[in-house]
Order: sequence, then structure tokens, then C-alpha cells
Amino acid sequence: MIAELGHLLAFLALASAASQSLLGFTTGGVALRRLSIATGVLTFAAFLCLIYAFVTLDFSVWAVAHYASSLQPIIYRVAAAWGNHEGSMLLWCLIMSGYGAAAAIFMRADVLRDRALGVQGLLTTASLVYLLFASSPFARLFPAPLDGGGLNPLLQDPTVALHPPMLYLGYVGMSFVFSIAAAGLINGKIDREWAKRTRPWVLVAWSALTIGIALGAIWAYYELGWGGWWFWDPVENASFMPWLVGAALIHSLIVTEKRGGMAAWTVFLAVLAFCLSMLGTFLVRSGVMTSVHAFAVDPKRGLILLAGLTIAGASALALYAWRAPKLMAGPEFDPVSREGALVLNNLFLSVGAALVLIGTVTPMFAQALNISISIGEPYFQLTFAPMMAVLLLFLPLAQQATWRRAEISPLVRRLWPAALIALVASVAAYFVVGKSIWIVPGVLVGLWVVLGVGTDFAKRVGPGGLGRVFRLPLSVWGMTLAHIGIGLFVIGATTETVARQERTFALGPGQSAHMFNWDFRFDGVSDGDGPNYYATRANISITHDGKTTIIHPEKRFYSVASTSTTEVSIRKTLEGDVYVALGDTLRDEPGVWRIRIAKHPLIDWVWGGALLIALGGFMSLASRIRRRERVTEAAAETPPAVATGDGGEPAGATA
Amino acid sequence: MIAALVMAIAVSGDLPLADPEKEARAQSLMREIRCVVCENEPVSQSTADIAVDMRRVIRQQVMEGDTNDEVRKYFSDRYGQFVLFRPPVTGLGLLLWVFPFLLLLGAGGAIAARLSRTRKKHLAPLADDQVDDSAR
Repeated sequence: MIAELGHLLAFLALASAASQSLLGFTTGGVALRRLSIATGVLTFAAFLCLIYAFVTLDFSVWAVAHYASSLQPIIYRVAAAWGNHEGSMLLWCLIMSGYGAAAAIFMRADVLRDRALGVQGLLTTASLVYLLFASSPFARLFPAPLDGGGLNPLLQDPTVALHPPMLYLGYVGMSFVFSIAAAGLINGKIDREWAKRTRPWVLVAWSALTIGIALGAIWAYYELGWGGWWFWDPVENASFMPWLVGAALIHSLIVTEKRGGMAAWTVFLAVLAFCLSMLGTFLVRSGVMTSVHAFAVDPKRGLILLAGLTIAGASALALYAWRAPKLMAGPEFDPVSREGALVLNNLFLSVGAALVLIGTVTPMFAQALNISISIGEPYFQLTFAPMMAVLLLFLPLAQQATWRRAEISPLVRRLWPAALIALVASVAAYFVVGKSIWIVPGVLVGLWVVLGVGTDFAKRVGPGGLGRVFRLPLSVWGMTLAHIGIGLFVIGATTETVARQERTFALGPGQSAHMFNWDFRFDGVSDGDGPNYYATRANISITHDGKTTIIHPEKRFYSVASTSTTEVSIRKTLEGDVYVALGDTLRDEPGVWRIRIAKHPLIDWVWGGALLIALGGFMSLASRIRRRERVTEAAAETPPAVATGDGGEPAGATA
Repeated sequence: MIAALVMAIAVSGDLPLADPEKEARAQSLMREIRCVVCENEPVSQSTADIAVDMRRVIRQQVMEGDTNDEVRKYFSDRYGQFVLFRPPVTGLGLLLWVFPFLLLLGAGGAIAARLSRTRKKHLAPLADDQVDDSAR
């Protein structure tokens, strides 16, 4: 019953979305605002119905029967609602219509908002049509089974339960960026005002994407049992490409907003970000590649996705080709300037995104030509990493360069101590950590960014001291935190990659292993059962500095899915994680178990860096909201002049 | 006694080599050689039986003093280029390696040419707050 209600609500949402796009391109107004909110609310209600079906285990619903089971804890039944193709498509629709509803609530009513809601309505309509006619999560199953298949055990984990919603908030959030770009192109006005109103949406989507990607990495790190967190797997690359383009977009929007420049390029990136999101979805869901994310592989769905991608991308590009030549160039600037530096940023980030794209799709195209190649970590480490390192070398300079034209010598005077310290420390790191010469560029670049950004921050605080620190604009805080986050990430990622150590021991009960001044005594295994799995738990006492603690790394066997997973034990230390995973018992000696002990130095810097990047994005967003209030107050004092400022003209009248 | 000795010498799939340098080299090779039955996994992280075997072969060859390239060639001769996550530096592969840098140089060169033709020394620098003030 509830499933049918959900189905009905999704159809109502479809009708609402279709009317939303109709009104968006015609009269707009209050009715459009209400319809856009209605689309969001209806989709949300449909989504709640699906969650209800999963929580109450209505096995007559196909998706529930395949991805939920009575043994599953309730939180994972909720997560299972989006841990499958159909449910995740409903989540996609929910987030897409949710952005539309949010825009209807928060954006000032004018022709830009109306057209943006219209385009968003079109995208939502297309997504709902795909959902309802090609992958309905509400489809019934007859006869209904007594119990269901359950969520993939690897996904039964709190981090990865949150990973899809965050990732989609970013991925699908780019749809509204696309819509507002298309709306600006339709209106023929890509100006400072447009940039100012676009930026918050990019910041929300991109920061959420950052967190979503980081959650996926954290999950891979501790759940897959061997301690890697980024594999340059096509699926990861699929989310990384929109991230890179989004990062470029955030920076080029600054030029457009502050100076009115780079308008054509900025709007191109805004269109591109969502196209890459759709491309990623196509790659993951069409079955052209295999991965843990390719739940239900169906070539027909792949074709529909590809068609949607082509139509949306081609029409946006056509619109772009029509409008872009008429967009005005910004005021002139010298190459050595903030503008110049941001052009450089965009050059590197877009070439980086192109590199990741090439590395991801080449094996698929090669396969079509019967050439079988693989592209993985070594390729990206030798191409992408150095490219980004060069970009980051410019970061502290860019942050302090003045607009229009910059003098180099004051920058050098201010920044040489940071450069010197970074240089000395990176050489020192080589002697302390050793292992590989690659540690030097990593620490050099990372530390240079952290110290250079810190120098800039100190200069902005000025002689006023601590009192001024908290009076700095939130946008400065956002920039500073995000850039320090990048620096810490680079130091952490390089050190972890270069200096991770791992060893596998074969230990019988009572035997000890010794590694990096830690003692690990294996005291055999015991059984432990969870709600829907059997576990083999190792008892290992760790002694370090005279202190002993006991840890229990596990192997779990999920009977419904007949899959095993590992649950590692991690001890945090100042230097990094000590990571213990229980392997198999030796074939010929049943009491002896393989135990993998690893050290992942500075791994928390990787997570912390990513978190700071996202936090920086959210702080920049907060500065927008605060400023918007201030502008609104100012507008309230002098109402008539501002109110009719823009909008009003029919589409395409001004170019 | 003899059994224990044999066990110590035989290379096991998952027990490390005695020489830490060789072990590190073996581990880095395991990260770039693909498990042939898995989905997108290097042998270093796979639990499949064949991955255990492949790890053993890699350790064996590294212990016997084979260079990284020799180990890579051993696997690509048997399983094709597919088995290496590091694409070859010949033919199509070479293009793959140089293309990103060509793109960077090409696009960067075009932009630089356009911007530097018109150096604008006469422009006065604008500080952040001046730009903010002029924003609407």
C-alpha cells in the first residue's frame, strides 16, 4: 500500500516538475515558486515511502526483497534504501528537486531564478521519467519471498551509509549550477551579478562532494582491510572529475564576480561540471565497467543514461556556442596579477580533470579496439601528482597577488621565510622518513602552501593582533582553511604513500610479533556473533611503552549474502595509525593465523585536510549568506532603485 | 629442524621477504600488478587465491634479484598489458603518457601568448578591499 503511495507521489512529483519547467520558461512568479517547492516535497514524500518499505521489510517490493533482510539492523535497512540502483536513482531525484526547492526559497525572484527553476524542472522531469519507467524502486514482486537478500555486507557500515547522500548532494548539486548557467545563457547575461548568485550553489555542492569523496576514502581505508584509501579506480575518478572542475569553477567565479572577467569560461565550467557528473553516473551504472558501485548492470539503462547525457550536454553546449561570443570580456589585466594567477589555477585544474578523464576512459575505448590495457595508480602518480604540485607552488603567491597588476618583489619579501622553512623541512623529512625521494616534493609543496597561506593570513590580521582574527571576513577564513587543508592533505598523502609499512605474520596462539617498537601477542581467536553475521575475533595484546591494550580485529561472515568482510583494529598514535587485520588461518596449520600489521603514517592529515577543505567551502558559503542579509537590509532602506535593477527583460533581449 | 629450515626459505604468498629493501620493492610491484580475476584490484589488496599466488611469484622473483621491469615483463608476457596498472611507454601508451603534458603546454602556451602580448604595465594594482568596494 505504502509502496503504491510512493509510486503515486513520484508521479505527482513528475507532473509538478513538468509544470515547473513550463512555468519557468513562461510566466514564472509565485506559482513557479510554489510548484518548485511542491516538486521537492513530493519527491521527499515518495522517498519516505521507500524508506518505510525498507524499514518495515515489505518483501513484496522488488528492491526491498533484493537489498534488505530481516537480520539487518534498522539503520542499515534505511541505508539499503539508497544502497541499490533504483533507490539511489530516487535519491538522485530527491536531491535534484531539493535543490530546485531550495532555490525557489532562497533566490530572489527574477528572470534568472525563473529560468533556472525551469531548467532544473526539465532535468528533474527527465530524471523522474527515467526513474518511473526504467528503474522504479516501487515495483512489486510476486510471490513475495519470506526474507530478502540484504545489503552488500561491505556497505554495512556507518560511514558508507552516509557516503551516497553526501556524494549525491555534491554530484547532483552540480545540476543546479548547470541550470543557473543555462538560465544565464538564455538571458544572455553572464555578469558579476550572475556570478555572485551562482557561487553559493557551487560552494554547497562542491563542499558536499568533498565530504562525500572523503567518506568513501575513509571507508575503503578501514573496511577493505588492506589500508588503501584511493585507488584511481574509474568509480573514484568519476567523482573526482566534477570535483576538479568544481574547484576550477569556484576560482573562476571569483574573477567573474569581482572583475566581471572570464565570463564565457566560467559558464562553460558550470555546464561542464554537471556533464561530468552525468558521465560519471553513466560510467558507473551502465556496466561499461565493473565495480562495487555497479549494482544492477543493465545495458538498456546505460543507453538511456547516455542519451540523457548527450541531450543535456549537447543542448547546453549549443546554447553556449550561441551566446558565448556575445558575452563581454572583462576589464583588462596584466598577466602578473590575481586574475592571471586564477587563470593559471584554471588551466591546471582543467588539464588535471582532462587527464583523469583520459586515464579513465582510455581502457574502455582501447577494449573496443581489442587492445587490453590498464591505467592505475602508477600512471596518475607520475602525471597528475606532479602537475598539481606545480600548481600548488603558485598558490601562496596567488593568494597575495593584487588584482589587475601585481608587484613580484613584495611577495618575495614576504614569502621567502616560508619557502626557506619548507625547503629545509622537506630535506630533513627525507633523512627522517627516508624510503623514497618523493617525500621531498610532497613535504616541500605541502608545507610551502601551509606556511605561505599562514603568512598571508597573518598579514591580513595585521598588527591589530588577536582581536582582529575573529573580525576577518568569513570568506578569508574559508579561503585560508581550505588552502591549509590542501597543504596538510598533500603532506599526509605523500608521507602515507611513501612511508606506509606493512608486514604479514603467521602467528599461533601465544606467539608474538614485533614491529616498529610495538609488541603484538596473539592469544588465539574466539567466536562472536552479530545480528546478521558470524565473526571470528582475534585477541591480540599490544604492548608499547610499557602499556598493554587488547584489540580484536575480526573476520565476519554474512550468511545471507555468503560474503566475508574484515573489521580491522586501528590504534591512533601521533605519528599515524597502527593497523591490524586478521587474515586467514593457514591451510596446513589450523591454529596459525595470518595477521597483517601495518603503519599508516599521518593518515589523519589526509582526512583532516579533506575536512578542512570542505569546512573552508562551507565558511565561504556562510560569508555569502551573511552578506546577502546585509545587502537585503541595505536594499530595504533604499527600496525603489534596487528592486527593478535586473530581470524583467524578456529572454535574450540583452547580450 | 630441516622442515623448519625449508619453511624459512620457501617464499610464502603473504609472508614478507627477510630483506626489508627487497620486501618494499616487492610490495610496490604488488600495487601495480593487477589481480587477474578481480574487479579493478591490484594483487596487493586482493584475497583471491590467484592473487596470493601472484604475490608469491613477485616475492620469489624479487628475492632472486629480478629487476622491476623483468617482473613486469614476466606478468605482461603471460597475461598481456592488461595486468599492469602502469601503461606501456610505447605506441598508444606513449601518447597516453605525454598527452596531458602536451595539453598543458599547448593550452598554457596559447594563454601565455595571448596575455603576454599585451603586458599592461600602466595598470595600477588593486587590493582586495578596493575590489570588494566596487562590487555591487
